[in-house]
Amino acid sequence: MNHWLIFWTVSLVIAGVSFAVITGIVMVKGYKDLRLMFSRLAEQGTHDHE
Amino acid sequence: MHFAAIDWFIVVAYLALSVAAGLLGKKYIGNVSHYLVAGRELGTYAGIATLAATEIGTITFMYNGELGYRYGFAAFAAALISGLVMIVVGRTGLVIGRFRALRLMTVPEYFERKYSRGLRLLAGILVAIGGILNMGVFLKIEGEFLTIVSGIDSRYLVAVMTAILLLELVYTVVGGMMAVVITDFIQYVLLSVATILVSIYAVHHAGWDNIVAKVSSTMGSAGFDPVENPKFGITFLIWQVLLWFSIHTCWQTTAMRVFSTRSPEISKRVMTWTGFIYLGRGMLPMLWGAAALTLFGTGALDNGVPLPVVDGQTLAPIDAMPAMLASILGPGIKGIVVAGMLAATMSVNSSYLLGWSAVISQDIILPIREQMGKPALSSRSQIFVNRLANLFVGLFLMFWGLYYTPPGAVYLYLNITGTIYLAGTFICVIGGLYWKRANTTGGYLAMLMGAAGAIIPFFFLHWSENITGFCAFGLAALGLVFGSLMGQRAPTLKEAE
Repeated sequence: MNHWLIFWTVSLVIAGVSFAVITGIVMVKGYKDLRLMFSRLAEQGTHDHE
Repeated sequence: MHFAAIDWFIVVAYLALSVAAGLLGKKYIGNVSHYLVAGRELGTYAGIATLAATEIGTITFMYNGELGYRYGFAAFAAALISGLVMIVVGRTGLVIGRFRALRLMTVPEYFERKYSRGLRLLAGILVAIGGILNMGVFLKIEGEFLTIVSGIDSRYLVAVMTAILLLELVYTVVGGMMAVVITDFIQYVLLSVATILVSIYAVHHAGWDNIVAKVSSTMGSAGFDPVENPKFGITFLIWQVLLWFSIHTCWQTTAMRVFSTRSPEISKRVMTWTGFIYLGRGMLPMLWGAAALTLFGTGALDNGVPLPVVDGQTLAPIDAMPAMLASILGPGIKGIVVAGMLAATMSVNSSYLLGWSAVISQDIILPIREQMGKPALSSRSQIFVNRLANLFVGLFLMFWGLYYTPPGAVYLYLNITGTIYLAGTFICVIGGLYWKRANTTGGYLAMLMGAAGAIIPFFFLHWSENITGFCAFGLAALGLVFGSLMGQRAPTLKEAE
């Protein structure tokens, strides 16, 4: 049981830290991504090509 | 009433912002690919946000919280498998790389490219039935969460959930994937903040050592060892690996994010990094469930676990986690958390509405029209059909979702309803991409035997979820191999034009 407890504790820490860090990065870079997406779509216009 | 004025203000402000941002998406809708796959212009970070927001809802927190309450740390195995499998899919590009290169808009569309239009229609029908039944339980469970945490009288549950569904419908019908991507970004930020806040509060109030001691005294080593736990075991773990490979590659709402990325490389990066988020998506709410067991698990035993008792009232295990939040969160924080959970609810529901309605319009209605010899619809008309399908799915959910109660643990119900089409779809896709002999006869047999293998054992023979899952995937594989070897030569895959 102790081995499992250690394993789940380490897994939980990795899960929690990666969740928080990726969220921070996505908050900043995701916004830039969205702006890029809108500008590319605006350049494409609204053509009926697909 | 648990909510203070500041909490109401935060929640109403969030709802207004979300709907307004969603309606902005309409500006960018020019053709059906904008409506369904955001013009295939999604970058890595926005892709991570929309994929994570799509697959993290209040329903996810509720069923994972329930698993943590019922099975302790052993439940973490399901979360670990879901995350690790996603990372493997992202690193290797298994299925998703080819899917993106084919420029698909729905998963069943692949079936026409590789097999036949008839098989696309059958896959579309099974995907729509499995997906809508799967989503059918969301509203009621999400409503339970909101009423317990906010303290709204349960008499108003139907009205509250109907109002939320209508708000989601407004921006999803109008703005399609563009609206969903914009709102997903806002919703992802909010739900992540809420997840982190709740995790800190839960451990602070219950105490890490107390959580470990409670799980240990209640379940013994089965609360930590997933192989020893009678609900799990080796069969469960292997089934979960199979199931998560199929979900991460063939689940319509996940696949739509892959189709929406700018390139196959970006789709692989999105999948890899979201895999790490998936670890927290499962384990953190499971921890909340174990914390709720520690704080409230004092009632009569139910399958070896004490039922939660709050203020003298006995609750179901799935309601223990929201009851804990109502009890430990203060004014302001509670508003942020409920806004975060509403964000999670809306991001999942809007994506699922779009996903299943896309299948109904693109893979059922349009192929039937073409089969009847009617001319192909213009992009604008396809968007109109998609919007109608979206409304239909929304209305169905309003009636079915609020009145149907799933039997047993919700996580396992969702797994089985997903398996109805995932078993056959995954086997057909893997066979079609990586086995030259896979043909249409094999495809039909795989889809039908996979669906029968999920429905008959679970709903009629009452076999366990693990055995049912194995049965569905095994029968689907048998069907593909048998049918392909018996049938004619396999057709070649039609590439994107």
